[in-house]
Amino acid sequence: MSTRLRDAAVRHLQLLGAGAGEGAVRRLTMDIELEGRIEMVTLSLRDGELQCVSSDARNDGPHVLAALRFVAGMEQREDSSPPGLVASIAPRSAEQAPANELADALDDLLTAITRVGVAKAQYAPSVDAALERVISAAPEPTPSGLGRFIGRLQREIRSAELRPMARLLEGASQLANALRTTARTRDTEERLVAWLGARPGSMPEVELLHDRTMIEVGREWLSGTERASLERRYLVDIESGNIYREDRPRHATASLGPCPRQLRVGLAEVESGPSPRRIRVLQYEVRPDIPSESWVRVQQVASRSFAEVAAGYRKSVEAHPSLSEPFALVAPHRIERNGVFKVFDSEGRQLILNRSERRGAVLAFYDMLAEGAEPTWLAGRLTDTGTMVCLTPFALGTRDRTYTRL
Amino acid sequence: MDTLELCLREGIAGNEYADPRDLLGCSANADDTEVARALVRAVAASDLEQIGTQSIHPEAERHPSVRPPTEVVADPSFLGRLSTSGDEGLSVERIDDVPTLLAVLRAGSRRQRRAALARLGERLRDRRQLHSDAARKAIQTIAELRDVELGCELAQARTELPGAQGRAARHEHDQWKRLAERTEAAIRAFWDGQSNVDAIRVLPGDQRALLLMRVAELPDVVIHHITAIIEGSDGCVPLESRIGLITSLRYARDPRLVPALIAVVEAERGELVASAARVLGGIDDARVHPALAERFERSFVAEERIALAGALGMHGDCRGLAEVRSSLEEKQPRLPLQALEAMESLGSSESTDLVAKFLDHSDVSIATQAARTAARIGDGRALDELTERYNASSVPALRAAIEDALSAIAARMELRGEEAAAIDWSEVGNKPAPRKGSRDSVPAIVLGWRDYLVARLWLLLGRVTWAIARFESAAARRDNWAVPLIGIGMAFARREQYALALPAFRRAIEVDRPRIERNPILVRAMAMSFLHRAEQVEREGREDVARGLVGEVMTLDLRRAPGTVRFELKRKHDVLRREEQGDVHSAA
Repeated sequence: MSTRLRDAAVRHLQLLGAGAGEGAVRRLTMDIELEGRIEMVTLSLRDGELQCVSSDARNDGPHVLAALRFVAGMEQREDSSPPGLVASIAPRSAEQAPANELADALDDLLTAITRVGVAKAQYAPSVDAALERVISAAPEPTPSGLGRFIGRLQREIRSAELRPMARLLEGASQLANALRTTARTRDTEERLVAWLGARPGSMPEVELLHDRTMIEVGREWLSGTERASLERRYLVDIESGNIYREDRPRHATASLGPCPRQLRVGLAEVESGPSPRRIRVLQYEVRPDIPSESWVRVQQVASRSFAEVAAGYRKSVEAHPSLSEPFALVAPHRIERNGVFKVFDSEGRQLILNRSERRGAVLAFYDMLAEGAEPTWLAGRLTDTGTMVCLTPFALGTRDRTYTRL
Repeated sequence: MDTLELCLREGIAGNEYADPRDLLGCSANADDTEVARALVRAVAASDLEQIGTQSIHPEAERHPSVRPPTEVVADPSFLGRLSTSGDEGLSVERIDDVPTLLAVLRAGSRRQRRAALARLGERLRDRRQLHSDAARKAIQTIAELRDVELGCELAQARTELPGAQGRAARHEHDQWKRLAERTEAAIRAFWDGQSNVDAIRVLPGDQRALLLMRVAELPDVVIHHITAIIEGSDGCVPLESRIGLITSLRYARDPRLVPALIAVVEAERGELVASAARVLGGIDDARVHPALAERFERSFVAEERIALAGALGMHGDCRGLAEVRSSLEEKQPRLPLQALEAMESLGSSESTDLVAKFLDHSDVSIATQAARTAARIGDGRALDELTERYNASSVPALRAAIEDALSAIAARMELRGEEAAAIDWSEVGNKPAPRKGSRDSVPAIVLGWRDYLVARLWLLLGRVTWAIARFESAAARRDNWAVPLIGIGMAFARREQYALALPAFRRAIEVDRPRIERNPILVRAMAMSFLHRAEQVEREGREDVARGLVGEVMTLDLRRAPGTVRFELKRKHDVLRREEQGDVHSAA
């Protein structure tokens, strides 16, 4: 591949949009038709290096060359801005909203709740006003991390639970500190990206994944600034056992397919941040029917120690008290059925199910146990009751039936 | 730490609690923001230290496997206490008496009717009992039953029947298998990227109803595809088709659909939620009741709330009864059809008068639904009003619904131990005026039959134009002779020229309606012609015309048409009707 061509493409990508304040271009995806074949080509710019990926797996093939020629050719144009009145409809970026404004709004929220008390926050107009101020100070549309924080905070305000509220407010306080910091470290950068997404000038740490097989084991709608504003899908990499989340804001698109499904991921980006880490699936194939071997792999990669799951949970919540919503895949060792059902791991530690959330799923799980089902693995979101780590079940695999979505 | 927690719980602004500044190491004049941050940090740190330190909570040792009640417990009568399964108490599974099972099959709730049919199927599998009088009666009832709500169970039960009925049912099952295989292959092609057309959406309405009737037998790949559409993650199906698919699953019971339907109930709004709730109402699964109840408590859209109330009623939860009742008691009810439908599961004898009031409604759909609701409530006091309405009405669909209601109420009274209302059909209803003797002359009759037979011959030879001309000639020779008109309609219907078949069927209905309504083959062809033509004009964007066609055929007595066709007609009628009223909301 021509080095000059690559250099020209890199140069153009670096320049594109930077001058006009429209936001830097980090990745371009194009459908290139050549010799009767259409291939998807993705050009990504990471630390000044250009990565080219084509859906025909030929990363230096004719489609990639055509894409580079297209990008390099754009350099000659006088006006590279997109057509139309972009400036008038462009969302308000984080740069436009002073970082300190959001930090101050978060501090106000923290102070308002602490002044009035968690028990009475539900009825306090000052808390409502502070929440409104946070939303208005945030970039538009509200970033999914911040939106999810607001959704969780509103739920905890209604429930008036002290400890989860303290945890959420502590996370908000950490964000306010990160926003005010001038010398940004890797930690503060990661925190800002987790809350506010990638912003112009930020260098989010992104891991690229190639050629992975993933299985979606569960999905749910979560609250943000509005009810059910975010659909979250949980994907298990059946080679590594890593669990990722794919977030789809309402009215936005994400990868297609039912739950469960098998994804053959050609290219994906994984953000560093709260557990489970967020994935953006860029190139993929979907299979709505999942081969039994894949389910066997899911069982093999499931965690066998509930103590390890609990330790991982604590570590994750410590790192991101407001945003961490870990998901786990566990393989029970033994089930007791003496009138009541208890699930144990090989160390004799009991798995606790969270019965305050997704109550129907928990009842259905017990019904299945009552009918004699023997779970070989169980997937669910982790929560805690202060001292105990609990699992909110989403799906399970049994010996006679490979998968049941709860 | 207790003091700090108290401060955070009750607020630092009040003077009656200890000032946390000392405990937090803040100066005495530190501002509230600084104190708040220190307080939250301290409580959160203490909280994080404790995570995972305890492995079991005493409360968590109790794991009750509690299912929500599935039957209405308020009714102390036989049917009110009759459960669908179980070895103790009154249970359909323990009933051996065939007449009782047949009465439950006519008068019970949907779950009870399903259970009664399954029990009858079990009894008929014992070939030694096939020749008893009771078994013969059961076979006859199963063969004649036209309950759309039990479509799948009836189809399964009929495959067990001996003779022609059984063979026809097995043949239909084979057709279904072939259809399912074709659909599965098309779905695989869709997800492989070889096709961009949703395989279920392109099926004609009756085929789709047939496919989804046996949804529990469909392979996982088809179910997963259906759930992708329900959840809107297929990437190509528009909102109207999504609603259409959910309404097509109205009587499905497959628990594999539950998570996707619950996702719709939790996250969507308007018609999507109402449709999903109606499906969930009929599914016995522990996940259903909590999801419906939670949505009902926070919903404020009348259409959603009525549908959710009805669905909860099917799970034995009558929390929405008062609201549905009050909506029907309004001078001009806003959603009478939906409210009457909900009353099928919520209503009791106290609601009889309220429901009977709608039997006189000028809208035939509402009057017909009122008759259906009265049948499900099963109160004998409605008999007089139903009979009166039967005599006064000339709409075949309404008369058919009232006939069914009268039978169901009589069966329910029998099961309650009340004096069985023996309905003397000779006293009920103004019979169709006896057809006057033919006044056609003998030569007209002979020539008419000659033209008819020649037309049949031309049809056999494939000369349709000539055959139609001969049929027309035969019809012209005799004024009130429907046979050649039916011939024209059937000829066009077989060639899928529905636009041409409709005028012929209309003329035949005008001349001799009962002849078509009582013949299963004719009524099937006629109903399918109307349905397919409505689908054609709807695709062309002429929804008003489609609405008119479906409304027209729905006024006829379609009880002898296949269940799948009736189901699809009613579904389309409801959807088009709601579109007319502008009730199809976006799923935003």
